[in-house]
Amino acid sequence: MATTACFIIVSRNDIPIYEAEVGSATKREDAAQTHQFILHAALDIVQDLAWTTSAILVTEMLNAFSFFILTNKKYWLLQTLLNPLYLPGSRIVSSHFDTKVRALARKYL
Amino acid sequence: MDPVKTPLGKMLLEEITPVVMVLRTPLVEESCLKNSLSFIEMLSPFCDFNNIDVPVRTSSDQPYRLQKFKLRLFYESDIKQPNIMVAKERLKQVITEAGEKDRSDLSTDPPDISNVLESFKSEISPSWFEIFNKELVRTVSFSEHEAFDHPVACVSVVSSKDEQPINKFVDLFNTNKLPSLLNDGAMDPKILKHYVLVHDNKDGPSEKATKILTEMKNTFGFNGCHLLCINSSQDEQIEHQDNPWAPYNFDSSPSQNLGRYLNIDDFNEIKDLIQELSSKHIIPYMEQKVRVLNQQVSATRKGFRNQIKNLWWRKGKEDTPDSSNGSMYTYSSVESQIRVLGDYAFMLGDYELALSNYRLVSTDYKIDKAWKCYAGVQEMMGLTYFMLDQSRKEAEYCMENAFNTYLKLGSSGRQNATRCGLWWIEMLKTKDQFKEAASVYFRICSEELLHSAVMLEQASYCYLLSQPPMLHKYGFHLILSGDRYKKCDQIKHAIRTYRNAVSVYKGTPWSYIKDHVHFHIGQCYGFLGMYDVGVTHMLEVLDCSHQSKATQELFLRDFLQIVQKAGKSFEVLRLQLPVINISSLKIDFEDHRTYASPGSTSVKESVWCSLEEEMIPSLPNARTNWLELQSKLLPKYKESNICVAGEAIKIAIEFKNPLEIPISISSVSLICELSATSDETNSGDHNFNVDTDVSCSTSGIGNNEEHKNLSIILTTANLVFLAHCREIISDTSSFSLSEVNISLGGGEAYLVQLTVTPKVEGILNIVGVRWNLSGSVVGFYSFGTNYGKKKIAKGRRKAKQSPGNCLKFMVIKSLPKLEGFIRALPEKAYAGHLQHLVLELRNQSEFSVKNLKMKTSHPRFLNIGKQEDLDLEFPACLEKKTNVSPPANPKIASNGVFLFPEDLSVQGENLLLWPLWFRAAVPGNISLQVVIYYEMGDLSSGMRYRTLRMHYNLQVLPSLDVSFKISPYPSRLQEFLVHMDIVNKTDSESIQVNQLSTIGSHWEISLLQPIDAIFPSQSLIAGQAFSCFFVLKSCRKSSSTGESTSSLFPHIGSNVSLVPDGSKGAPFDTSNSPLADFHECERLQHGISNQVGNNRMTIKCGVCFLYSAVSVKPYNFVLITLFNQSCNTASTSPISWVVDAPRTRHHDFSTSFCEINFRMTIYNSSNARASIVIKTLDSTSVSDQLRDETSGNQVGWHAMSLAKDIKLESDALRNHVRKSLLPESVSAFIWSGSSSTRVQLKPLSTTEIPLQICVFSPGLYDLSNYVLNWNLQPVDDHENVGERIQSSGTSLGYPCYLTVLPSD
Repeated sequence: MATTACFIIVSRNDIPIYEAEVGSATKREDAAQTHQFILHAALDIVQDLAWTTSAILVTEMLNAFSFFILTNKKYWLLQTLLNPLYLPGSRIVSSHFDTKVRALARKYL
Repeated sequence: MDPVKTPLGKMLLEEITPVVMVLRTPLVEESCLKNSLSFIEMLSPFCDFNNIDVPVRTSSDQPYRLQKFKLRLFYESDIKQPNIMVAKERLKQVITEAGEKDRSDLSTDPPDISNVLESFKSEISPSWFEIFNKELVRTVSFSEHEAFDHPVACVSVVSSKDEQPINKFVDLFNTNKLPSLLNDGAMDPKILKHYVLVHDNKDGPSEKATKILTEMKNTFGFNGCHLLCINSSQDEQIEHQDNPWAPYNFDSSPSQNLGRYLNIDDFNEIKDLIQELSSKHIIPYMEQKVRVLNQQVSATRKGFRNQIKNLWWRKGKEDTPDSSNGSMYTYSSVESQIRVLGDYAFMLGDYELALSNYRLVSTDYKIDKAWKCYAGVQEMMGLTYFMLDQSRKEAEYCMENAFNTYLKLGSSGRQNATRCGLWWIEMLKTKDQFKEAASVYFRICSEELLHSAVMLEQASYCYLLSQPPMLHKYGFHLILSGDRYKKCDQIKHAIRTYRNAVSVYKGTPWSYIKDHVHFHIGQCYGFLGMYDVGVTHMLEVLDCSHQSKATQELFLRDFLQIVQKAGKSFEVLRLQLPVINISSLKIDFEDHRTYASPGSTSVKESVWCSLEEEMIPSLPNARTNWLELQSKLLPKYKESNICVAGEAIKIAIEFKNPLEIPISISSVSLICELSATSDETNSGDHNFNVDTDVSCSTSGIGNNEEHKNLSIILTTANLVFLAHCREIISDTSSFSLSEVNISLGGGEAYLVQLTVTPKVEGILNIVGVRWNLSGSVVGFYSFGTNYGKKKIAKGRRKAKQSPGNCLKFMVIKSLPKLEGFIRALPEKAYAGHLQHLVLELRNQSEFSVKNLKMKTSHPRFLNIGKQEDLDLEFPACLEKKTNVSPPANPKIASNGVFLFPEDLSVQGENLLLWPLWFRAAVPGNISLQVVIYYEMGDLSSGMRYRTLRMHYNLQVLPSLDVSFKISPYPSRLQEFLVHMDIVNKTDSESIQVNQLSTIGSHWEISLLQPIDAIFPSQSLIAGQAFSCFFVLKSCRKSSSTGESTSSLFPHIGSNVSLVPDGSKGAPFDTSNSPLADFHECERLQHGISNQVGNNRMTIKCGVCFLYSAVSVKPYNFVLITLFNQSCNTASTSPISWVVDAPRTRHHDFSTSFCEINFRMTIYNSSNARASIVIKTLDSTSVSDQLRDETSGNQVGWHAMSLAKDIKLESDALRNHVRKSLLPESVSAFIWSGSSSTRVQLKPLSTTEIPLQICVFSPGLYDLSNYVLNWNLQPVDDHENVGERIQSSGTSLGYPCYLTVLPSD
């Protein structure tokens, strides 16, 4: 079955800094909005996690939460976002990043 | 916490109570309806006992006292499972009513989320949920598998008016009418019976009734009969102070009418009846039944033997199919009896007993796979655990188990699952497990939209209440709920949920979420006709560039629809459609700087300034004239810009359509205010105070009658701004504005050009821009960002320096203004293109201007001609004229500023035309600026001078590319060979080279070969190259003689025609203007001074090509190339010489030795007097030594080549030659005459020295063994002090071979 996944990186204060829709399914009209709603609602759980775990990694993860639970991808994203030149809250517009995310998505989905 | 006091406990004590079936005759109902109450309704307020205090003894021997007790009364017709459709209708009605009753103000702004969190729990969720949930629970009442809904007792009621009341009692208990529960064996049909006779006191005294009662007692037994007299109040109606029916709120009539004929006696009688029924009949009956059943159950099921037996028996039935309902168990079955026992015990408050029985039967049901019964028992177990307040985990486990089992049943268990879920939720809420409660709410959502909408909304409030609050989920569930409400047309509910959601998502950067919320709430408001609020929300979604095209269309269409329905025009500050790119804001205004074309303003101010630097009067001078005058007038606005009345200020600002669909924008215009100077103080104060004094301005809106129909949807600060704008817009008498209508396609950006032309003097302030979107929405945009805030915060003094200040102008009296352009200036030209142009200047005003000056940024490209050039015929004027008159020097000041003749007047219709020469000097893109300075004729005006700035962009294409190499002509002084390569670099153009000229008097040019030989085709096609050689000959005289002529005729060169004679007219004159002028510019460009006589041997020569493109015949091209190459010879030594010796000589050695005379010509190219000593050497060893010493200092023609390897080669050759020759030529010849000759040489002069050698035998002789010592004596007023001058040196002779042959 063709599935579609939405991948959003959210920075502090719930600001989405990167959005990508990956997958092979034909795009539905309201898919983007549904995805946003679901992912936005899922942030509660992430915050819960952050409260219950004292590990520093998790608090860092809040800055760069990735929807996928693929470990290597997550770390890789962290690496990207821990770039000291990154301005908090600004969107990621790099096309290089975009293609990388999409390639990884093809690999794992 | 006591579980009884929790909401769930209370609910259970109300809902799980004994049911009493009521059978009545129509006449009973009739009597009761006089009070607007049915019989049951009349009794129900008295059925609830909070302190009945009845001793109860169930299984144990110890009695306990029951406090809380309630009876539920139902007519026999209502004791059945409610129809699903009816139940749905009922629920819908509840929701709709709740929506109608929702009195909260829908139009207010959504509450802030932090405020919501701080408010009390009870305030967060609407109260009607309780009612709804109760209704929902009741939809599954009277199911067969649950004994607590089975009637415990039956009350038959007959009116005293009925005929044959005893028979009526019997008839009432007619089995046909009884509920199916009793008939189909789900419950024991033998239930407790009670007989009540109702007497209406209005119908007369009660004697007859008491008679009937006696009869009843005789018939049915003494205990079970009762007489109830109602409507005792005679005639007058009773207004009950605290109406007992009021809280029940039956929907039939207003509450004050309820029970109007019932007096206090009736109340007491009813109370007594129910009290007696409960305590004397129902409770003892239930006690009795519990005891009996308990004994039975203990006998059959308790104990090890019974357990084993039961198991064996059950196993036998294992292959029975799954039974989804409880029909397999009749009331007489053990399982049903255990269930009844459990339920009765529960209702009597003996939870321990209830629990043990539930447990017992639950395993049975499970083994029997009677899932519905099993789920029901599990549910009750959960509730019992809860009431016992024992094991929380067990309770939850049971509830979950029951819930899941019900769900497994499919549609038949759906409603039971819902009820179970609701109880479970209440249980969780009691324990503050809101998050879990929310997830249960989510699970009881069914496909039915309305139902799930309510559930989702409740779930959302649970998320809000959970600790910590889960706002994201709260918002999400609100949206889900609101969406469903909207689909069910429950608009008010939808608005409530969406409004709450708005407070969660306020200012969210999640674009799709924001759009969804605002769009839907906007639509909802639109449905309700609250267009104003709807529009505010719709405005939020207009900037939806991330959405698909279809969605964008939908958004825009709905928005416009709502606006249209509102039937008025909206004024919106910061309308998001179109997007205004404030960074693109460009203001063009003209103070003393005026611009000829719009493009002129794009040039950097610094470029203009550097051009104008030389022309405009110095600053202190200017200040005394107009700046001071101005500051006297308006001391406050010294810093603001200046513009002239009647001259337009142009504002360019970019409008961008972020959408993919086209939008139309009309009436784009600026918002300006102009306060006349006369009442400057007033208006100035007004301008600044309008934002600080909010109350004053808002009251101003109220007075403004003509704008009554305009709706304002703004915060206070914006309101003030809008009001301000409106005031300004209405007042347009003192200036005129341009209006633009544009239509922007999808994604298009358009630079809108707007103008404002002030008509009177004063202070002009450009506030912002307004436009009309699709004819109905007026957008405002204030240029000074956060207009109101900034000024309030900063105060007056700082606000002056704010960036908004550049939008403020001081308007001064109208002035003359020059307009000008250059006629027919090409935009594209080939390099070298020469053209005659005319500058046209015009002055529209009647005042004159004077002192015109002009300067161009690139004199190489644009040269200012002489007035008499105006009518010249081009290109004929370039041809050499016979009568060459000395050109009058144009009035060009030292820094390239051209002064127009003073008698010129430019005024009114009088045009000023002035010739210009244009030549495309170098390829590339050239930004050409011309500045014209002029002064006002009228000194009283606000400005003394103005400048006209003209700007042109040129593209110059490459045409001919020339590279050259100069080598000194061997053996000839002052003559040079030039090897020149010419390449046609054009794309497709053929070029014909017509003429080659040197510029200046110092060089003569001549071809080495005839032109036909080297260049037969006469034209170069694109990309073609050709080489030619020619000779440059210096014809420089000594400086003393040539000086006078060179100053007078500085540019007289020689020409070479490259076309066959006759095909062209007279050769062009390169020594005349404009060619000479351009040459001058080129020289300046390359930093070559016109000074002659540098002490270097540098070849500096301007060579002028005159050529024409074949296809562009009328135009002529001039390429000026400067030969500026210093030869190595010249750079090392200023002294050069040539030995002019014969090559061969025949001599008869038999007669005598041979004497050979020859001459050496020495030239001093320096500016200094040179003294030269020539020493002839006979010994070669000395020569060798010397040569080694001075090898770095060698002079002579041998090193003329620039390439080093060639030099080395020649050196090697020479050494070789010399060495091979040396043994032979030792003393082969001797220098005769003086061995040392000393000469003094003037600057730039030549001298000849006779030399003589004697040869004694035939052979080949090298005449190089001499040394030339030279010494320069610098002239005192030497100009090139910086130049490194070699003051002295020693040069070796260079080889000069002489062959002496014996003559026969």
